[in-house]
Amino acid sequence: MIKFHPTPELIEQFVTGILAPAESLMVSAHCDMCKYCRDLVDTKTAEFAFDHLELESAAASYDPQFDMMLANITQQPAAEPRDRARVNTLEQEALSTTIELDGKTFELPKSLHRLVQKKGNWSSLVGKLWQAPVDLGYDGVANFIYMEKGGTVPEHTHRGSELTLVINGEFSDGMNQYDSGDFIYMNGDHTHAPKSDAPEGCLVFSIVDQPLHFTSGIARLLNPFSHLFFR
Amino acid sequence: MLVGIPLEHENSAIEPKECAVEMSDYLVKVAEDRCKVSFARVFGFFAPRLRSYALKQLGNEALAMELVQDTMSNVWQKAHLFNSEKGSPSTWIFTIARNIRFDMLRKVQNRKEDICADDLWPVLCEQTPDANEQALDEQVTLEQIGHLFEDLPEKQKIVLEAIYIEGKSQQEIADELEIPLGTVKSRTRLALQRLKGMISDYD
Repeated sequence: MIKFHPTPELIEQFVTGILAPAESLMVSAHCDMCKYCRDLVDTKTAEFAFDHLELESAAASYDPQFDMMLANITQQPAAEPRDRARVNTLEQEALSTTIELDGKTFELPKSLHRLVQKKGNWSSLVGKLWQAPVDLGYDGVANFIYMEKGGTVPEHTHRGSELTLVINGEFSDGMNQYDSGDFIYMNGDHTHAPKSDAPEGCLVFSIVDQPLHFTSGIARLLNPFSHLFFR
Repeated sequence: MLVGIPLEHENSAIEPKECAVEMSDYLVKVAEDRCKVSFARVFGFFAPRLRSYALKQLGNEALAMELVQDTMSNVWQKAHLFNSEKGSPSTWIFTIARNIRFDMLRKVQNRKEDICADDLWPVLCEQTPDANEQALDEQVTLEQIGHLFEDLPEKQKIVLEAIYIEGKSQQEIADELEIPLGTVKSRTRLALQRLKGMISDYD
């Protein structure tokens, strides 16, 4: 059961479209998995639209340009409703909705389907961890990270912020236990060491805007290189 | 030319609820009959409001008008995608405007085309059913798996039992267990793959 959700502020920024694209993608993917937040987004969207497009008095902003605009628009033809069958085949060919690792197949939430083609190869890291980078074309780095059963990310804190969505499986980090669909926000105030004990391990999607900072034991040796791993 | 028709409507004070019903009816007429008079009503109500919303968001007159133009063009061309059961006209039109604004900003900031508004809020997409839902489970039958079933992790077993023995849909299971649909799908897949592995070992 999903216990960790985006904050109300984050949902609101997402609804109004002012949240940054990478964060928006995370919220959107969480909503694919979480009915509670999906409903909240719908409600907030309706409220916001009502406040700005119905209550708003428009008298002041009348503009003669509108007449011309209206005339132009109604000259345009209607969009052809697309041929269902054809669209289906095309999309089916173009889009795989799952990613695979080591013979396991994981279904991704809808918002992340487009990332399947942008995913780099899996590489094996320390401690039963696998990582596949995703190029979002934005600042910050996105990765699919898979923890095998017993896999651990060395204890670390964050220089910037880290957003993680649990796609499948469970993990704990010494503070909490996370399950599929959970949305996790971490920043410099948080130090944690994620670990999965689930029989099938745990797949997460994670976006960080700065390299991680390892805090304990031998993993500290990784710090100078942490921009290479766990980015 | 329809110059002059629409904006007379503007000052009549309509109650919000009636407004939604009225605008809904106009959108249906636009979708079904390409009715220009109905569209003019919708345009007359929403265009000025959209502009003041856009001005606040974008702080630029020309961009704001571009946003109004693009949004209302979409309303005209894709009125058939409006569904009053899913939300009010203002909600639908707002989401179109928000998506266009999101993509406009991306362009202004010279970002690569990697996250676009349609991925986040697929408001103008035709709905398509989930494609490869059935593919894997057709390859394994309950008879084949029999005793191997017991060796599955508890969570996967519950999902498989619900599907194959109780005959529930994946959505029903997701609702019942209060877990995401994707999780049910993944568990199903993982379980079936695991069983397949067991079967080939067993053979």
